[in-house]
Amino acid sequence: MFDYLANPSRFMRIANRLLWPLVAAAVITGTIGLYLGLFVAPADYQQGDTVRIIYIHVPAAWLALFGYVGLGLCGLFYVVWRHPLADVAARAIAPVGAVFALLTLVTGALWGKPMWGAWWVWDARLTSMLILFFFYLGFIALANGFDRAERGSRPAALLALVGMINVPIVKFSVDWWNTLHQPASLLRRGGPAIDPSMLTPLVLMLVAAHAYFAVLVILRMRSLLAERRIAALMLRSGGGE
Amino acid sequence: MSPFLAQIERDLMIAWQNRQDLGVMLIFFVIIIALFPLAIGANSAILDPLGIQVVWIAALLAILAGFDRLFAQDVRDGWLDQVSLSPLGLGWYALAKAISHWLTAGLPLLIMTPVMAIMLNIPTIQWPPLLIALLIGSMGLTLLGVIGAALAEGARRGGALMALLILPLAVPLLIFGTLASQSEDGIISPHLMLLGAVFAVLLALAPLVAASALEIGETETGL
Repeated sequence: MFDYLANPSRFMRIANRLLWPLVAAAVITGTIGLYLGLFVAPADYQQGDTVRIIYIHVPAAWLALFGYVGLGLCGLFYVVWRHPLADVAARAIAPVGAVFALLTLVTGALWGKPMWGAWWVWDARLTSMLILFFFYLGFIALANGFDRAERGSRPAALLALVGMINVPIVKFSVDWWNTLHQPASLLRRGGPAIDPSMLTPLVLMLVAAHAYFAVLVILRMRSLLAERRIAALMLRSGGGE
Repeated sequence: MSPFLAQIERDLMIAWQNRQDLGVMLIFFVIIIALFPLAIGANSAILDPLGIQVVWIAALLAILAGFDRLFAQDVRDGWLDQVSLSPLGLGWYALAKAISHWLTAGLPLLIMTPVMAIMLNIPTIQWPPLLIALLIGSMGLTLLGVIGAALAEGARRGGALMALLILPLAVPLLIFGTLASQSEDGIISPHLMLLGAVFAVLLALAPLVAASALEIGETETGL
């Protein structure tokens, strides 16, 4: 399986075939989800219409975490099996994950201002998302921090692995430190604590966000691979870099 | 003498030859602490409760600032190539580097801390938990610094990059360290145990990661 997919052009053939269905899935679920979320779902009895930020905020937060797990797995594949595509995938995921983390922070601030009365509070969840954002930035800076781009691959993969171990500890320590944010209400024992009228658009938006994430990563991988190919061709033709 | 001890001895001798660098690091530590009253104001009602936190932030910055070129000299003069061929191995080499760096940077800082504690009006009853927590915390920060220096070795703008890599990962040490330092019932607080656990994880992790990063750095620069 991994060997089969190790060939970049073979991998991209499969990925390209998946691209348009994913675009369609993202557009369709996103449109329905936004429509249901913004127009059909009831306003919260306490929070009013501000609660609708949830349909962006929660998917963005999920994907910021999802991207971080993806980064760690890519790091593992790159360090252990030297899988060439793992590096490309990690470089493709990192900026996307960073933007989702930033989006989580921004929508959270917009939501926090009317609800908590402050744009920002030093709450555990906000702080750990901020640190996750910094972690993404560190990964990007390290991967691109060397004169030869490929030289950064291995340190960056190692950083992703260290982060895989350390970020849960960070999360735990920050939780210990301070908590104000509401606890998880979607994935918990006894089923979600959200009414179906609000849950349906939320789930649709989650699907849309995942599909959108996949589309972005595939597009970025495609352009990264093309860039490398161009560089290799230039080198072979004697054109230098 | 075992290669491990020889490596430590070599680094200590080099540090002794450049001993004014140690002074620079200590002065940096003192200056950061002096900056806080200058920024906050001399009001002891605000300053006094912040003493422990100020010491921790200053220690964190001073320790990490010392890591900029930890491996650079060894890469340049070929010492790293010799180490990777020797029975010592890169993992033990990284651990030896961490120990010698802590002895020359972390330990002087720890010795300086009581003086700073007097300047910051930290009550003497808080000194034992502060010093114990700072002892473990500075060792943990040193290990993180070794990871950062190994990853960023050979990168452009190594120093600023290292801060970006290491500071997010230093959060658990800072949180548990400051909490353990403020412990009021005895030295051994739950936070101190958690701090020790984080240190143990780093102790297992740092030599492996540093060795893996240096291995590639060394083969790549050899090309």
